[in-house]
Amino acid sequence: MTETRVFEYTRGQVDEDDPLHGEVMRVNMGPQHPATHGVLRLVVDLDGETMCKVDPDVGYLHRGKEKTCESLGWRKFFVHTDRLDYVQPLTNNIAYAMSLEKLAGLEVPERGQTIRVLLMELNRIMAHLIYIGTSSIDLGAVGIFFYAFVQREQLYDILDAYTGHRMNNTYVRMGGVYADIDEDVAKQIEAFLDQFPAKVDELANLLERNRIFYDRTRGVGTISAADALAMSLSGPNLRGSGVEFDLRKQQPYCGYESYYFDVPVGTVGDCYDRYLVRMEEMRQSCRIAQQALQRLKENRGGDFIARDRHYVLPPKADVHTSMEELIHQFKIVTDMRLPKGEAYSAVESSKGELGFYIVSDGTSDPVRCHVRAPGLVNVQAIPMLAEGRLLSDMVAIIGSLDFVMGEVDR
Amino acid sequence: MDFQGIYDRLRAAKAPGLLDCDLPRAGDPADKKDQGRAGDAFVLVDPAHWADFFRTCKQDERLGFEQLIDLSATDPAKDDENFWVNVQLLSLKHKHRLAVKALLPKDPGRIATLARVYRAAQWHERECAEMFGITFEGHPDPRNILLPDDWAGSPLRKDYEFPKEYHGISCE
Repeated sequence: MTETRVFEYTRGQVDEDDPLHGEVMRVNMGPQHPATHGVLRLVVDLDGETMCKVDPDVGYLHRGKEKTCESLGWRKFFVHTDRLDYVQPLTNNIAYAMSLEKLAGLEVPERGQTIRVLLMELNRIMAHLIYIGTSSIDLGAVGIFFYAFVQREQLYDILDAYTGHRMNNTYVRMGGVYADIDEDVAKQIEAFLDQFPAKVDELANLLERNRIFYDRTRGVGTISAADALAMSLSGPNLRGSGVEFDLRKQQPYCGYESYYFDVPVGTVGDCYDRYLVRMEEMRQSCRIAQQALQRLKENRGGDFIARDRHYVLPPKADVHTSMEELIHQFKIVTDMRLPKGEAYSAVESSKGELGFYIVSDGTSDPVRCHVRAPGLVNVQAIPMLAEGRLLSDMVAIIGSLDFVMGEVDR
Repeated sequence: MDFQGIYDRLRAAKAPGLLDCDLPRAGDPADKKDQGRAGDAFVLVDPAHWADFFRTCKQDERLGFEQLIDLSATDPAKDDENFWVNVQLLSLKHKHRLAVKALLPKDPGRIATLARVYRAAQWHERECAEMFGITFEGHPDPRNILLPDDWAGSPLRKDYEFPKEYHGISCE
């Protein structure tokens, strides 16, 4: 390891010789600001260049998703889950489907589970590539953005081939997924995964030996393990602080317990640690996706969606020929009821724990659908990370916390 | 620990305000009206001892709930006289979860804040307050969070009526 000099500004340190010292200036960062990754507004009180108080203001993208669910019904809300964290739509679909399945007591067949794992890992890679691209462009490394987005574009092509859409795929249904992954798509994914680890190394080579990136992220936005726990951080932001907790390992779902992968953790919890954690997570996601793809090859022809006629639409061909299937389709589309009760189910998304809490009274009208958005919790931690540091560090901190306002504001 | 283990431990630790637990159960085939209940098991807590209950959950060695994952509320029906306040707790050390619920009378709809037990509760409580009109007593920052400061009414209540316009912008 080469020696590095870390510029360390301790919390609350103010330059006494600054002619503006003592005069607090209020600066509005956002809601239209390229570095706030969406419509986040930060009200920052500055003493000289040091931020003495930070007040995040969210809600500019509030679309009332939770209220919308109550009037749309359980099935139609799937479309809206894509638009929460829109850089990983399929993960949102799956998290929502899992809470519905928990309440309905519906089992997903093995092939369906494997496809879901594959989709979630591809989505994780896509989300982390956005993080790498945007957080480094904020720090002035414009080239990285293009390297990351070339890879991301390939994943879009794959999802386009599989689902017919680049974004907002809505390809997950209760009981499984809408369609099987065919051989052409599997080959495309395989080709992508084969070249991807080398591309991650390339990105790492560009950033990890980059003087500017080092100095702007190391020791910046540090959060201790105890503070991260107290702020309920989850996912890479928590693991960056050295807490080893990954839902995929600790409370597995979709059969994650049967895959080989490692969970990277940081040591000090600064922006650089969070960066390292996400880079390694992309390599691990690639490993999981390769295993899932192998299983799909071995288990060709299995069911990818449950055979259940209370919640799962019958195949279209059968609807046209069988009266019974037509009735099933009609009942599911017009009046799909979930059993009375409430359920909370969570997945490890690229931002942290993404959970859906749903309440049903036994009719087809949802009583409540609440989204536990990891982004909201991440934004809540900004003042803790930023106060006492320079305004220019804010850009690095926002980038490293990795949130999407669509999910924060809902 | 599984749910029963956690519940027994809560009983043994004399957690303040612990009322009962609610487990999912199958319906009675003889009684057509009894559908049973699906989903998660949860514990019911008296809103008068709300914060103390969570202090026990956090401090008890064997429960060890370090994180408040989620806090939300539910308005079960227009004519129901209670809100539900729902909390999801997680213990990273013991790898277990607990769902907690309090039945909070809509009038006056006041409950203690958890911000002093779990710092992360702050924003969740702000959201609940604006969406349901619940007052979290002792909250350090009781402003609106997602809605504009001058928004009238509590949108997630079942008796909410959509406004016709907002500052000259038609909402219809």
